Amino acid sequence: MIRLNKVSLNLGKTDHSLSVQFQLPAFEVTAGEIVALTGPSGCGKSTLLNLVSGLRIADKGEIIVDGVNLMKLSPAQLDRHRGTHCGMIFQTFHLLSPFTALENVLIGLRFSDRNQKYPKKRAIDVLERVGLGDRLHARPDELSVGQRQRIAIARALVGNAPILLADEPTGALDPRTGLEIFHLLKRIAEEDNRTLLLVTHDPSIAREMPNNFDCSELIKPRELTADEEVTGS
Amino acid sequence: MNFFFMAWQYLKFRWLVSLLTISGISTGVALVCAVLALRHESEKALSRDAGLYDLVAGGKGSPLQLVLSSVYHLDSPTGNIPYKEYERIRSDPRVEWAAPVGLGDNYLGYRIIGTEKHFFDLPDREGNLFFELAEGDVFQDRFDVVLGSQVAQASGLKIGDSFFGTHGLIEVAGAEVHRDFPYRVSGILAPSGTAQDRAIFGTLKSVWEIHETEDLLHSAIQGSAIMADHKTRETTAILVRLETPGLRLWMADEIREGTDGIAAIPINEIMRFQQGILGPVQKILLAIAGVVVAVSCLTVLITLQQAAERRRRDIAILRSLGAYRREVATLVFSEGLLLTGGGILLGLLIGHGGMAIAVDYFREATGLILNPWRIPSNELYALLIMALSGALASTFPAISSYRRTPIDDLQLSE
Repeated sequence: MIRLNKVSLNLGKTDHSLSVQFQLPAFEVTAGEIVALTGPSGCGKSTLLNLVSGLRIADKGEIIVDGVNLMKLSPAQLDRHRGTHCGMIFQTFHLLSPFTALENVLIGLRFSDRNQKYPKKRAIDVLERVGLGDRLHARPDELSVGQRQRIAIARALVGNAPILLADEPTGALDPRTGLEIFHLLKRIAEEDNRTLLLVTHDPSIAREMPNNFDCSELIKPRELTADEEVTGS
Repeated sequence: MNFFFMAWQYLKFRWLVSLLTISGISTGVALVCAVLALRHESEKALSRDAGLYDLVAGGKGSPLQLVLSSVYHLDSPTGNIPYKEYERIRSDPRVEWAAPVGLGDNYLGYRIIGTEKHFFDLPDREGNLFFELAEGDVFQDRFDVVLGSQVAQASGLKIGDSFFGTHGLIEVAGAEVHRDFPYRVSGILAPSGTAQDRAIFGTLKSVWEIHETEDLLHSAIQGSAIMADHKTRETTAILVRLETPGLRLWMADEIREGTDGIAAIPINEIMRFQQGILGPVQKILLAIAGVVVAVSCLTVLITLQQAAERRRRDIAILRSLGAYRREVATLVFSEGLLLTGGGILLGLLIGHGGMAIAVDYFREATGLILNPWRIPSNELYALLIMALSGALASTFPAISSYRRTPIDDLQLSE
């Protein structure tokens, strides 16, 4: 389902003027697998998610998702890949403030399942599934942080994307709510047989995940090219 | 969910900025609409009056003054012309219709025009009678009068009512009232949308009788010799329609050469007046309106650019959900179109609504009836140019959104 092979990406200079590079020799996840991506801050967990979603393009290597090498896709094809294959969930929810819960989910559906015949019914079904059937018309600022993350999960689910990419989905929540959200996400992924890559710092969450991938060694100081060594840049 | 709905939601979310931007655009559009529509309507209304007559003959003076006083019932007359000139012109085989205009008095500021019964036989350019009586009949007795529709409405006079004329062409406090000569209303004209609506038409004989009697009285009081050889009666102006309008230049020359007076071609004088005096004023107003619209379009550009800048995170979110670059650009562009479209529609409403409110005042002041809701073709062109300018202004932030890469903007806080 997802295979990364000899992927490298120049990430530029860090705060300490150190030029760094993301390097991943191999990474493979099968369809329906649930994996926690762990490691310290800045180790490249989010970069890995962004490479799988096509938000970042690697400099070298292969990124195969559902049999397609993302490195060979045009920007528009990458947009399409995100819409059809990836449901993204962010730490700070990334909801659109002017829109209600239902509208946020409908917007997600607008770009993920463009031929959906009954978008409103589909969006309401998904919102009910995440427990927000009674807050369809509430705007994000009228909801608790836990409810906001539920909208974000509904938005990620609504287009039936086979891959869920969750970047620290519990990071902005209190421990109890965080655990609720994690369980919801895991349960849905299992029920729907969706692939879930979940970035987390929380050891208790990582322990509950069937698979863990340690991202600690992904970012390294960048090796200079022969030209750069000559010019000293 | 379509982009216009999404754009509308964003505009509602930033309602104050949106409202201010739309207000700016609508102010410019309203100005442009009002100036263009007013110009079109006033030209049309002025031409409607001027087009009724091919020639106006009168005493020596300014041709424009002669036209304004005898056709539009504005300004002072130039002087008199012998009545026999009228008789000569009327008997000319090239003349289709001619009528004298004798001025001297007013009632409530509305001029009393002394003329003859066949004045009401004036045909319009399609060959139908121009004047239409709403009530009563044309004058039968020499002190009968026919009221223009606006006079009837303003004065409240009805058929059979009497009133006294006041000396002079405008209403002045303390002016002499001709109490020995009551007028009687015999008819009321239907509205024509011309200056005739605010005139009172009586007989020329009544004008002569009132003023000759007054002059005799004054002469007697002052002990001076009795004046007036009554055979040398005069009229203020002569209105003429020709069998062939193309002959008006020759006829005008003939009148100028054969009399002490002048002859003017109303439509030429009015066009000169519009181009010479009204034209530059309208150009200045249009230039001001153009600047306002340009500033408004710049405001759209700045507003959208700022909105797109503030919404970099939202645009990145849409891209992360699978929106194409062109789709986020379309969304930003749609916002620009809604702002511009809203501003244009509101401006149209304010511009023409303002005219609708001012139409009564305009009619009172000039006698011209304007149609405030008619949109002339040059206004449509102006609106099209403004819409295109707004669309152009919306293009820049749309391109800017198109070019952004979402990954950095996703890190931005709300």
